[in-house]
Formats: sequence, structure tokens, C-alpha cells
Amino acid sequence: MSIIETTLIFAGIPVAVIALIVAASYAGGARRSKRYRPGRPFEFTPVWFLSVPEQVTETAKARELTGARRAELTAGAPVVTEWSGERTQPHVMGGASDRW
Amino acid sequence: MTGGNLPGLKGQPEVLNGPFTTRQLLRLDEALRLADSSTGLTFSIYVGDLDEPVRGHAERLHGQLADPPHSVLIAVSPNQRVLEIVTGGEARRRLPDRAAKLAALSMAAAFGGGDLAGGLVAGLSQLADHAGRH
Repeated sequence: MSIIETTLIFAGIPVAVIALIVAASYAGGARRSKRYRPGRPFEFTPVWFLSVPEQVTETAKARELTGARRAELTAGAPVVTEWSGERTQPHVMGGASDRW
Repeated sequence: MTGGNLPGLKGQPEVLNGPFTTRQLLRLDEALRLADSSTGLTFSIYVGDLDEPVRGHAERLHGQLADPPHSVLIAVSPNQRVLEIVTGGEARRRLPDRAAKLAALSMAAAFGGGDLAGGLVAGLSQLADHAGRH
């Protein structure tokens, strides 16, 4: 076996294998780069979801009871709920906050 | 259907630039639809940066919804690592602050592990369960 053959087999093949693994790991990494990791900057377009957005077609709107539509339906008669006596402050917001 | 509602957020490609994959979007859509139809309240999810004061910004977003008193907004800012749940006046009667705090805790735990979509789905189902049927 000549010196060139020896180098090719004992150095060339391991280098090729390593290059293949590196290439494979980078190819996989590009796809998962969107993953959120707390504490690291996370670039994304802000999103705001509703279950039924305003852009839906009229037919879909007629079939679905969206928040606006429910308000329309109940606009005539006041809804009778067990809390209807406490409607004095209907716009007091509540909720909770947290950090991680 | 799940859709972006912000200026410059129209159509599929823009939504796909958001923090979620298509599969996660489908799960969120399903969770929102179930929560809305079972409780009669309107649930909404905002994921993006919030201006200081964070609470005030979340409340302003909540005010932009179609029917704020019957709406619940979950606002999440992954970069600021802060989470706000805003309930309208009527929604608050069925979803007391204590229940909202409990959902916020479980969501924050999931977000701390890097799971945004999973945390949101879990939090939504917890809020919807607590609000009960309409």
C-alpha cells in the first residue's frame, strides 16, 4: 500500500464521515432554529388569534356564533344570569400576571 | 380558522413567520374553538412584545376586541418572559382572578420549559374548564 493510499483510507475516510455528520446536524438545526428558549432572543412576527376572525366569509359567519354575533342575538332582551343583579360595574377588568 | 389580526398580518405566510409551526397553529385553533364554544366567552391569544407598563398594554389590547366584557385575552411576551391574562367584567364573574392565576402558573411553567404552544393549550383548557358551560 502506497503512502497516498494509506492517507486516503486512514485520514480521508474519517474526515469524510465527520463532514457528513456535521452537514447533517446543520441541516437539521436550520429547521428547528425557530424553537423558543427562555432567556435567548426569539425573533418572530407578533400574532393575535381569535377563534373566529373578522375576515371569515359571510356564510361561515351566519353559521358560527361569534362574540359579535352573540351580542347581536342577545341585544333585545337582557341576558338573565345569576349575576345579573351585579351589573353595576360591568367594565371592571380582572385577570392575572406571571413571569417565568 | 386561526388568523392574524394585526396590521401587516394578513394571509398564511405572515402567520407562519410567527412563533408557531403549522401543527401547533392547528392545535391552538382547535383549543380556542373548543374554549369559545363550550363557555360562550371569547378567548383570544396574543403572542408578541408588550410595551411597558405590560399590564396596561394587555388591557388596551383586550379593549380592542369585539366584546371586551365577555372576552378573555391571554397576552404572552416570550422575550420579556411575561404573561398577562385579562378578563372582561362579565367574564370575570365566571373566571375569578384566582382561577386565572392558577392557569397563569401552569402556563408559566410550560413557557419556562420552552413550550409556548403546549402551555397555551393547557392554559386555555384550564380556563375553559373553570368557566364551565354556558
